[in-house]
Amino acid sequence: MAARSAALKVDWAKITTSLGLRGQTAASLQAFKKRNDDVRRKLQQLKELPTTVDFAHYRRVLKNQAIVDEIERRFNAFQPATYDLNRQLKAIEAFEVEAIKNAEATKEKVDLELKDLEKTLKNIEEARPFEDLTVDEVAAAEPSIDEKTTKLVTKGRWSVPGYKERFGDLSVL
Amino acid sequence: MPQLVPFYFVNEITFTFAIIAINVYILSKYILPRFVRLFLSRTFISKLLDNSINK
Repeated sequence: MAARSAALKVDWAKITTSLGLRGQTAASLQAFKKRNDDVRRKLQQLKELPTTVDFAHYRRVLKNQAIVDEIERRFNAFQPATYDLNRQLKAIEAFEVEAIKNAEATKEKVDLELKDLEKTLKNIEEARPFEDLTVDEVAAAEPSIDEKTTKLVTKGRWSVPGYKERFGDLSVL
Repeated sequence: MPQLVPFYFVNEITFTFAIIAINVYILSKYILPRFVRLFLSRTFISKLLDNSINK
């Protein structure tokens, strides 16, 4: 009963839009909703069907009273089969716990990613033009500059390949 | 001129080589690496700008 009332409370349209679902997730959610609706409609139809049998009418119409008695006896003795749903419910609960755990893990991951992205965005927004940067700041952003420097210096090379072609030099010779 | 007095020659030669050695050391250890670093960061920035223009 609780499950049904919970299902009624679900606002399907809002789920898709507010969570920003798309692609396969949205499609499977739609399929699940359709299945839910179909089953509910079928249940409603079945509930509307009459479940009583007018045996007096058959006694009047049919000559063979014995068969009507037999059917009535069997009908009264009929008990709808009951299914033990506890196992399935337990499995669903276990699945739910697992799903919640997964969702929380994903949320943590996404939060971390968001924090990282916010940091990057802040970095981009607060970026200064190259003219305002010092060599130390550029080297801190790109560690390969220091590595290349030590490599060239230990080899005793004081000129940077490609620098002269790009910027020229003041040499008169 | 006292520089041309032979008495001071040993002192002059000693200090000349000492100063040359100190100059070479300071240049190769501190000054020239700073220039190399500056040139490398300039080439890095120009590469970055080239890439952003080409994109």
